[in-house]
Amino acid sequence: MSQPVVMEMRSVHKTYRLGEHIVPALQGVDLQLREGELLALTGPSGSGKSTILNLCGLIDAADRGEILLQGRPVDARDETGTTLLRRDAIGFIFQNFNLVPVMSVAENVDYPLFLAGLPWAERQQRVREALQSVGLLEHAAHRPDALSGGQRQRVAIARALVKRPRLVIADEPTASLDSGTADQVLSLMRELAHRQGAAFLIATHDSRLTCRCDRVIALLDGRISPHETSLPLGAAA
Amino acid sequence: MNHFPWLKFAWQNARRNRRRSWVTASIAALGTAAILLASGFALSTYQGLAQMAARSSGHLILAKPDQFHKDEDTPLQHGLDQADELRARLLADPEVRQVLPRVDFSGLISNGDKSTVMMAVGIDPDSEFAIKGPFLKIKAGEALLSSPQASAEVMLGEGLARSLKAEPGSSLTLLSSTADGALNALDVRVRGVFSTGIPDMDKRLVYTDVLTAQKLLNKARISSLGVFLRSMEAVPGAQARVDALFPELQVQNWETQAFFYRSVRDLYDRIFGALGLIIFLIVIFVVTNAMAMAIIERTREIGTLRALGTLPGQLLRSLALEGMVLGGGGAALGALLALGVSVLLYLFPVQMPPPPGRSDGYPLSIAIDPSVYAATLLAMLLLVMLASALVARKTVHQPVVQALAHT
Repeated sequence: MSQPVVMEMRSVHKTYRLGEHIVPALQGVDLQLREGELLALTGPSGSGKSTILNLCGLIDAADRGEILLQGRPVDARDETGTTLLRRDAIGFIFQNFNLVPVMSVAENVDYPLFLAGLPWAERQQRVREALQSVGLLEHAAHRPDALSGGQRQRVAIARALVKRPRLVIADEPTASLDSGTADQVLSLMRELAHRQGAAFLIATHDSRLTCRCDRVIALLDGRISPHETSLPLGAAA
Repeated sequence: MNHFPWLKFAWQNARRNRRRSWVTASIAALGTAAILLASGFALSTYQGLAQMAARSSGHLILAKPDQFHKDEDTPLQHGLDQADELRARLLADPEVRQVLPRVDFSGLISNGDKSTVMMAVGIDPDSEFAIKGPFLKIKAGEALLSSPQASAEVMLGEGLARSLKAEPGSSLTLLSSTADGALNALDVRVRGVFSTGIPDMDKRLVYTDVLTAQKLLNKARISSLGVFLRSMEAVPGAQARVDALFPELQVQNWETQAFFYRSVRDLYDRIFGALGLIIFLIVIFVVTNAMAMAIIERTREIGTLRALGTLPGQLLRSLALEGMVLGGGGAALGALLALGVSVLLYLFPVQMPPPPGRSDGYPLSIAIDPSVYAATLLAMLLLVMLASALVARKTVHQPVVQALAHT
C-alpha cells in the first residue's frame, strides 16, 4: 500500500480493573491504518474492538506501547492536547448516533466546525455540503428526534466528516439500522472515505459491513488473529 | 461572526425539562424578590430613621466637649455662651440651612395640685418649625411662637397634659435648679399639646422657647447648637469645616447622637442579613440540585461533546451559562416582581400598625435602590454560575470513555 499511514499502534497493551481482577484488553497490538482505508475490526464481545477504537480515538490511554497519529506519537496524558487532536483530526460515529437532542440537524453538524474555530460563512457552506452529501439538506432545521434511525446515523456521519478528519472512528455504525438503511449508510461511508481520503476504523459484528471494507481484522482475547482479510484499497464493492 | 451561541445552547438545555426549570426559576424569582423586598424595607426604614434623627437633632450638633461626655452638676454648666455669634459664623457656610439653639433641662412641672417630672427643651420655635416642618403632631391648641409673649408659654406632651389635666390656656409652674444651684419657679401658660408618637416621651416632654428656659435657669447660655444642612450628603464635609472653625468646641454628627437609629440598623442588619443569607443558600441549593440532575442525565452527551473535541473549560462555561439562565433568569423575574410590589406600595400605600413603644403607625414603604438591585442580581448570577460550574466539574473532567458508557 502506498497511501500514507494515518494512525499506527505499536505493541499496545491495555488492561482494565474489574474489582480485584485485572483483565487484559489488548496484549501487544500492532496496527496501521492508511488514508482512504476502511478497516473493520471484528471479534466477539470482550475481544478488544472497543478498546482499540477508544485508544485510536484518543479518548483512552494505553498502559504500554505507542500510538501515532499522522506519524507523531500521542501523549494520552495531555488532556488538552488529545482534545485538540480529536477536535482537528478525528471524527466519531457512535452506535446510538449520540446527536445532541436540543440542537437542530444543522447545529449538530456545525458543532465540530465551531470548535475548530472556522469562520461563520465557511461553516455554513460546509454544513450545507455535508448535509447535501448525506441527503438531508431539507432536514437541516429539524431536531434529531424528528428523524428516523437511518437519517440520524447519516447526520452523525455528516457531523463526523464535516471537518474533513484524517480518521473516523465508527462503533457499530449499522447496529441500530435495518438492512436497507445499513446498506445506504455503508455506501455513504465508502464514498466519503474514498472521496475525502479519511481512514475509517470500524468496529462491527455486521458481515454486510465487513465484506465491503478494504481490510478486516479479527480480534480474539486482545490479540489480532493471524487470519486477516485484506483487499486492495477501493476493491471492495 | 465566529462563535457558537453558547447562550442559546444553554437556553435550549434549560428548556429540556420545562417543569423542573420553571420550578427552579420560580424559586430563584421568589428568593430574589424576598431579598430585594426585605432589603428595600430595611433601607426605607434606615432612610426614614436617619431623616427623623437628623431632623430632630440637626445634621451636626455643636457643643462644648464636656456637654457630650460628662453629666452636668447644674443646668447649663457645659453650655455655650455667645450663641448668636456662633450661629452667625455657622450660617456663613453655604451648606448650612439653619442653626437652631437648644436648651436641655429637667425639673418638675406642677398644676398646683400635682407635680411631676419633666424633660424640657428650650427651642427657637419659629426657626424650629420652619426647618423641621410638622415634626410634632399638635393635638390641641397651637405651636409655640418665638416672639415674646405676655406670659411664658409651653407645649406639653399628650401624656403629660393628661396627667396634669392641662389644656391650652391652662396655667402651670415649672420648677428647676438654676445654673447657680438655687431652686427657681416660673409660671407658664399652655399654648398647645403635642404627640411625638412615642408615649413614654409624651409623658415627660415639655417644649418652651429659649428665653423662657434661660429665664428659668437664670443663665444666658444654650446647651448646644443644631446645625441643619442642605442634604445628608453634605454632612462629612460640613463636619470637617465646622470642626476646623471651632477647635475649642466639639461637633458630632446626627448618627453619633441617634442611638435609636443605630440600634434599629444593627438589629435589622443582623435579621435581614441572616434572612438574605438563608434565601441565597436556598436558591443556590435549588439551582445546584437542578443542575446536578441535568448534568447526571446528560453525562453521556457530555462524553460525546468531549469526544468531539470540546475542552472541559468550554463545557464548564456552557453549563455555568445554563445555571445562569435558570438562576439568573429567575433572579431577573424576582427583581421585576420586587420592583412591581414596591411601586404598587408607593401608589397604594398600606398602613402598618405602630411599632412597639410608639403610638402611631406608618406607611409601609420599600426603597428601590438600583445599587441593591444590581448587587443582588450580580451576586445571584455569580453564585449560581459558580455553583453550576462546581457541580459540573467532576462530570466534565471524568474520562470520556467513562462518560460515554454512562447509562
